[in-house]
Amino acid sequence: MNQKLDRVRLGSEVYFTSIQDRKFKHNLISINLLTPLEEETATVNAILPFLLRRGSKKCPDFTELSKTLCELYGASLNADVMKIGERQVLSCAIVGIDGRFALDGEDVTAGCARLLGELLLAPNITGGAFPQEDLDLERQNLIDTIQAEINDKRAYTVNQCRALMNEGSRLAIPRYGWVEKARAITPRMAAEQHARLIDTAKVEILFVGCGSPDSAREEFARLFGDLPRHPASFVPEPVVETAASVREKTVEMEIAQSKMALGFRTGCLADKRETDAMKLMSFLYGGSPFSRLFVHVREEKSLCYYCASRFDQMTGAMMVDIGVERENQPRARAAILEQLDAVAKGEFTGEELESARLSYVNSLHSVPDSLSGLESWYLTQILLGRSDTPEEAAAAMAGITREEVIAAAKKVTLDTVYFLASKGGEKEDSEDE
Amino acid sequence: MSEFVSSPVLGERFQRVEHRSGLTILLCPMEGYSTAYAMFSAKVGSIDTTFKTQREEDFVEVPPGIAHFLEHKMFECEDGDAFAKYAKTGANANAFTSFDRTAYLFSCTGNFRESIEILLDFVSRPYFTPETVQKEQGIIGQEIRMYDDDPGWRSLFNLLQTLYRENPVRLDIAGTTESIAEITSDLLYRCYHTFYSLGNMVLTVAGNFRPEDVLEAADKILQVGEKVEIQWRKAEEPQEVAGHYVEQSLPVSTPLFQIGFKGEAGDSLENMKRQLADEVLMEILCGESSPLYRRLYDSGLINSSFGSEVLAGRDYLCCMFGGESRDPQKVYDEICREIRRMAAEGIDPEAFRWCRKAAYGRYIGIFSRVESVASMMMQAHFSGMDNMYEILDWVKELTLPGLEARLRKDLDPEYGALSVIKPA
Repeated sequence: MNQKLDRVRLGSEVYFTSIQDRKFKHNLISINLLTPLEEETATVNAILPFLLRRGSKKCPDFTELSKTLCELYGASLNADVMKIGERQVLSCAIVGIDGRFALDGEDVTAGCARLLGELLLAPNITGGAFPQEDLDLERQNLIDTIQAEINDKRAYTVNQCRALMNEGSRLAIPRYGWVEKARAITPRMAAEQHARLIDTAKVEILFVGCGSPDSAREEFARLFGDLPRHPASFVPEPVVETAASVREKTVEMEIAQSKMALGFRTGCLADKRETDAMKLMSFLYGGSPFSRLFVHVREEKSLCYYCASRFDQMTGAMMVDIGVERENQPRARAAILEQLDAVAKGEFTGEELESARLSYVNSLHSVPDSLSGLESWYLTQILLGRSDTPEEAAAAMAGITREEVIAAAKKVTLDTVYFLASKGGEKEDSEDE
Repeated sequence: MSEFVSSPVLGERFQRVEHRSGLTILLCPMEGYSTAYAMFSAKVGSIDTTFKTQREEDFVEVPPGIAHFLEHKMFECEDGDAFAKYAKTGANANAFTSFDRTAYLFSCTGNFRESIEILLDFVSRPYFTPETVQKEQGIIGQEIRMYDDDPGWRSLFNLLQTLYRENPVRLDIAGTTESIAEITSDLLYRCYHTFYSLGNMVLTVAGNFRPEDVLEAADKILQVGEKVEIQWRKAEEPQEVAGHYVEQSLPVSTPLFQIGFKGEAGDSLENMKRQLADEVLMEILCGESSPLYRRLYDSGLINSSFGSEVLAGRDYLCCMFGGESRDPQKVYDEICREIRRMAAEGIDPEAFRWCRKAAYGRYIGIFSRVESVASMMMQAHFSGMDNMYEILDWVKELTLPGLEARLRKDLDPEYGALSVIKPA
């Protein structure tokens, strides 16, 4: 590997991880605040990245901030909130060109690190509150973002299925929280939550790029080094291993194409090897254009344009989704389950398994070729409490046997079926358990 | 014939090979990368609906969506499916059809030689039967239905149909359920033999590979064919737009909009230059550092989903702004007002300086990803640009008077339109 990986502790539960690779032309720096998903705080947490993106104490004016980014050769600054397993991750990231391409030899990376540090740790808070105007705007934007989930029918269907599957647990909390809670956010409440997160969240700073991480590391060491912090420990809830029964829900909407999502439980995944077997099984089942779902549901039966499965190692859930004509839904469902059954019975060829493995390994080997790929990979490793490189993950995949793939498929149980039905067929609105 | 094209700024180069088969091959090995990215592309897209070659007397008019249909069908070979062949090499394969390009591509981190042979082979050997065409109608029918529910896609095509009266850029890339029902295997063969002649194609490869593997595979697989001269019927498109407003209702939370201005289109190369200038212009006009963006954002008229892009190709050029808003008409009015003010008062020289600097940084980014290098080589070639690195010079050479001239030609409110998706 050409990449130099380094991880240092900058303060109490504050870490700086750098991956240096000369082939890139840019540097990416991200600060991630890791905090448990909680009903009370999820919504106010979600507004924070957007408030921070408005400006800092030093540069409170959004237009000035944008000009600064232009002067840093169009450095892009992104702030968002992610939901990873039972955690909410507040992320601010900046990507800028390396100094060697700057027309006047400016130190773009140091400028980017400084800016990011100011936005996160010296936000525009006066008298214990964010500016009312900023809060009003970003609160409305947050509400719009929550409500806009419905615009993408495919993602919406999968999210609805997942929420239903995890009803009552931490995993059911939406990434951006709830509209009613967003309406209640005040400038003071947001500032207090910011202070709380700076005090208690686990902080993971990542640097990925061709340049030297030194200036960024020094900047964050200075900012976090003397900060008295009180990080809270967090133990995730045990995952539900098996579905007790199948929960079904059908909702009608004025859409052209119906969508269906099936949520499966895959069992306890504490064991790394079992997890790898499940990943490979899900890939063979529905992760490629030569997978069981693509070949048998799309190509053979012409039922759909897309039908795919994804396994989430953070929650142990496997989701399958399909866009289908309403009247074909029962056929599609039967075909999807039939293919899973076939994998569990070992009705796949050795060639199929090797193709899935090869393709999966190929995607792992591609991870080090993009800044975002590397950043996301190592953030996931950190969340899993591991430090595997993509190459190590690929090597582990090579050892998974056919029997382990079959065993993985046998552990999978159907938990929830969510059907977003195109209005116009038979009327059926039901919720059964 | 072979030559190297270099960039002193980036310290990089690519190789151009004019293969004896008539195909242009562009190769850019990139040190330190694990992935190789290969694209075999034909200069054909959804806008190619009326054409002929030197072999035919009359123009043929084909059903909208046929280029995309052809792309789907190419994966089916007489000896099995191309995806199944790639499955043995581990390559990640795909394809896409745009307004004026069709590309077959793969990325891989091993078995490159086998994968490049699969790519060249299946794109060189069409195989269509009435049965397989019929099966594909079902799959693409579902793809069309999926896009029917996509508010962003719908607002884009509603806009193009409002801006353009005749130009086929107004047609949905996948066609309609009705138009694809008219597609036959004979029509597919006619399209194939017109547009997939090697003189109308380009092979671009970037990243981790050995150039000799590509050239040996090309020698082995590609046959010298008859040179095909393609004529396409140029649409008699007036500068006037078909309308200024269009709306559709869909299940969305807040209204989505696309604002478009029908610009002055030149030829492909000229349009590529204009696209770059217009991108910087739109950044000055309504980028995050502009006073207009600030006014719109602070008054709650736009949110962070707001963005702009330029759609440019063979004989069309269109500048677009899109996003979500409670009052899209007001956003449209404000943008038109700012265009008029800027045209009257001139562009702020400082804003020009920093937006150009930002564009320079963004364009550098193209050259650090294998997929964007392969794609850029293809785009540049089809636009008639010999040296893709010149794009960085184009950015440096932008001038204030040049942008002011483009503002008057490409962002004229008289030739603008607003497309809105309203909540149902």
